[in-house]
Amino acid sequence: MTGSPGELRYCAGSSDRGLRVALANADIRLSRFNPLPRILAFDDFDDGLHGWCELVGNHNGDLNELQPVFSDMRPAQLSTCTFFDLGTHGAVDGTYSMKLATRPRKFHQAVAIKRLTSAADGLVQFEAWFTYKAEQTFGSQDAGARAWDGNYHPSEAHFGSFTLWNDICEGTEPRDRYHAALRYENTNEEGEFTQRWLYKTGLHPTTRMLREGFDSNQNDVHVAKPDMWAPIPGGDQQLCFNEVPTKVNWHYLRWLFDLSTRRNTELQVNDLTMDLREIPVLRFEEGYWGISRLLNLCMDVRTTSNVRNFLYLDSVVISADW
Amino acid sequence: MRHSFTAVIEKNATFQEDFETEPYECAWASEARWFIHVAELTGSGASLSARVQVSPDGLFWCDEGAAFEPISGPGMYSLAVRDFGGWLRLDCGLDGEEPKVRLMIYLVLKE
Repeated sequence: MTGSPGELRYCAGSSDRGLRVALANADIRLSRFNPLPRILAFDDFDDGLHGWCELVGNHNGDLNELQPVFSDMRPAQLSTCTFFDLGTHGAVDGTYSMKLATRPRKFHQAVAIKRLTSAADGLVQFEAWFTYKAEQTFGSQDAGARAWDGNYHPSEAHFGSFTLWNDICEGTEPRDRYHAALRYENTNEEGEFTQRWLYKTGLHPTTRMLREGFDSNQNDVHVAKPDMWAPIPGGDQQLCFNEVPTKVNWHYLRWLFDLSTRRNTELQVNDLTMDLREIPVLRFEEGYWGISRLLNLCMDVRTTSNVRNFLYLDSVVISADW
Repeated sequence: MRHSFTAVIEKNATFQEDFETEPYECAWASEARWFIHVAELTGSGASLSARVQVSPDGLFWCDEGAAFEPISGPGMYSLAVRDFGGWLRLDCGLDGEEPKVRLMIYLVLKE
């Protein structure tokens, strides 16, 4: 394969690409993004949640039918990033960001989803300014941990992971549906620092699969077992946790995937850009009914400690080359 | 047009002892309404209490002053609050002999 994924992106635009870029750069809110030619959504959480809602599993009206992993993914919140020591931190601009918050229970996961459909096959890009935190604790949770030394804070080890992912289904035929999922793993299942990007090597266990008895730990919406993740080559990255649980620094993220190749294309997080075109994306062998042209985008946060974990998004831009 | 958001704070959850709901940020809204939809409440003399609590930081809490009337059976119950600052939760108690409740809790925010 030749050329960089970035070249793909810049070649994909129409002839008025230069004008679109100039207009975007003239908009003080859009100029910190690098969208594809057609912006499908610009979600600035200063004025609402813009259709990001809690993921809930399938059921027949009886919520007792919800599979455990899908039963408690928590409502998104409009957060002021307010902390006990400094008050309101606010967002990149304005006051509010979208916050996903886990319960204070090991392996609990909070998931938000935005549901669209696709008008064509082609490139789709998800961009965000985000930050992440573990909730402030006071003493007991840090017993036995690496001690605070004025720079390092044990709160950083309380944060598990966050994942960006999609749910795509072209039609009703076998192999039409797939999920691409990219996880930033700060700590592994044992709570040890890993600080790297992962892709998944197992299928997302759907409600139908779980009802049919698919063997799953039911503590990670993406995979049945914790060993179904693999490191992305060149994906080691330390993000800016910033020493204590009450300082937030916003990070830029850009994820590009291709509906025509059914693959990820690339992931940029600040100064690290990963070429993902060779990363496999598993497809379901079975057909799925009633979700033709599905284009869902999701974000989640998962704790590996008994401490609440938070993922904050200041703003999101979803764009396409069609 | 006014902004509004409904959060499902507890979804078909079962409790057999006292509990607090998860902290929920609400600084953007000036009015809130709690709904408790009790699907089942069992146990001799069982009743559910729910007091509204507020917090400056989502960590430390105090009573806001409002509380649901004691709930002793299935049904939909509601309580409105204003001037709550940045965070809301419910402090819930179960009384009676081996009480058990299955419920939904909603928080409806509006600005």
